[in-house]
Amino acid sequence: MIKLTDINKTYPGAVPLHVLKGINLHVERGELVSIMGASGSGKSTLLNILGILDNYDSGEYILDGTLIKDLSENRSAEYRNRMIGFVFQSFNLINYKNAVENVALPLFYQGVSRRKRNLLAIEQLEKMGLADRAHHLPGELSGGQKQRVAIARAMITNPSIILADEPTGALDSSTSRDVMALFRQLNRQEGKTIVIVTHDPGVGRQCDRVIRISDGLIIPDESIITDN
Amino acid sequence: MRHNKLRTALTGLSVAWGIFMLITLVSAANAIIRSFEENMMNSDNQKISVWGGVTTKPYRGYREGRSINLKNDDINTLSREQRDVVEEVTSELNGRQSGVATNTTYVEAGFTGVFPSARDLNRLDMVDGRFISQAELDNKTKVMVLPKEYAEQLFPPDGKKAVGQRVDCIGLSFLVVGVYESRFRTIYIPYTTAQVFASDNTDLDQIVLLLKGVTEVEQADKIEKDIRQTLASTHGFDPDDESGVWIWNAVSNALTVQGGMSILNIGVWILGLLTLLSGIIGISNIMFVSVKERTHEIGIRRAIGAKPVKILTQILTESVVITTLFGYIGIVLGTVLTEVLAANVGDGIMDYAHVDLGIAAQVTAVLIVAGALAGLFPALRALKVKPVEALRDE
Repeated sequence: MIKLTDINKTYPGAVPLHVLKGINLHVERGELVSIMGASGSGKSTLLNILGILDNYDSGEYILDGTLIKDLSENRSAEYRNRMIGFVFQSFNLINYKNAVENVALPLFYQGVSRRKRNLLAIEQLEKMGLADRAHHLPGELSGGQKQRVAIARAMITNPSIILADEPTGALDSSTSRDVMALFRQLNRQEGKTIVIVTHDPGVGRQCDRVIRISDGLIIPDESIITDN
Repeated sequence: MRHNKLRTALTGLSVAWGIFMLITLVSAANAIIRSFEENMMNSDNQKISVWGGVTTKPYRGYREGRSINLKNDDINTLSREQRDVVEEVTSELNGRQSGVATNTTYVEAGFTGVFPSARDLNRLDMVDGRFISQAELDNKTKVMVLPKEYAEQLFPPDGKKAVGQRVDCIGLSFLVVGVYESRFRTIYIPYTTAQVFASDNTDLDQIVLLLKGVTEVEQADKIEKDIRQTLASTHGFDPDDESGVWIWNAVSNALTVQGGMSILNIGVWILGLLTLLSGIIGISNIMFVSVKERTHEIGIRRAIGAKPVKILTQILTESVVITTLFGYIGIVLGTVLTEVLAANVGDGIMDYAHVDLGIAAQVTAVLIVAGALAGLFPALRALKVKPVEALRDE
């Protein structure tokens, strides 16, 4: 599903910063993996590249059979829209749109009619157990609910991968567990490929595999750890 | 936008003010233009009148000071010579004051022998019956069209019965075919009939040429020169003698005035648009602030797949909507003031001060363009927002 080969990325500047120094990474279809690393390890840059939010200098990134390299703004927007579902630490919901409108937004950018996208959005919210919160504004929702709305938004286009950036970073421990349970459910029941970037070992333990990144390089795989 | 209602409202107010000024100025200017045109007579813009004059230069053995009298034949000559540019050549023959009598009453009135086109030329409103027909002109029929005032005097109390009645005039019996209302008070009879009255005298008072579709002052002046040339050769006077015949070139006057009016109109638009400009700059400014405040939101939208053009249209639409919304407040206020002016300013100058559909449509177009312009630069700024912004924590 994800295949990174010798990815290099340098941020230009007075002192050029070589952030990724040849990343090789495979994630199979249907895997639930976490990427862990200290701040400054290149974790965020890797996430940006995986999410087609940023370019890389050399190497090759193949997502779901498509080479992601030197894309135009329009093409990368289209790929992000169709292939990637984002879940962010601070939820990143648009605060003047209610839950349904937020979930439906990616479909708006696909040109789906308002009627149809709202219908699909409500369906998605029902799956997340949020049917009764469908017409609430983000400000009226709890942190866990917001994150479930965000996950619904990530799921609505049926993307190839879900990319989650510290999805539990702003949540208390019990809500974190609920959100992780939801990710695991999406992974087991719907076979979604999910990549979670985190620095929380508790989250890492709930994934099939932990990829550790340090100083711009992947530390060789540990054995698969799962609790329970 | 949402967070700064007061700022948006204040800026919107300057747009409303700009549009208010624009619409009031344009309406007032239009009113002035309309009242000018009203005083100028519609038909004037295609009308050249010719009167006989007195020569001031000797020519081919004739001495100066000779009277030139227009003749019936001049009508034919002019319509032949100028047939490319002339719709119709007509004349008016003013009869002496004569008595008009019914069995019971009597009025003293002036006569004018005219062609059927005189009705449009003099803009006569027919209140009853009809005007003189071509057949009556051709047959020298004894018919007349009365001004309303005479109809009332001859057929009291209200002159309603006048049409179809016969009246006596200079010993002849005339049929009344119509009654008109105008500031003139003369009895119209067919031109040819009037000529019979003045049988011994084929001199014409005046010849009127109705041109077709002349829109250039130069062309009108050239036609005037040609007319003088033609008459000079038939009557034997120097073509350069300005007073051999008197020519009133209403066409070129009307066109000159029209030119002045369009300059007035343009001037007023420029003033209005300049006033509007400060409003536009204000809108542009708050759009810039709005884009800056929403950098994160734009980033989120970009991350979940908004193409740049979608962001562009979103900002432009917002700008156009705000501008148009406040602009319409200006239109409403401007309309109110204009109507107040129309009702209260005397002398008939502002009688035509109305915001018509044309102005409203033009101003709406201005608003949309202005809104788009105001939004353009902020929208381009929004395009520079990278999707990575979505990941940046606030």
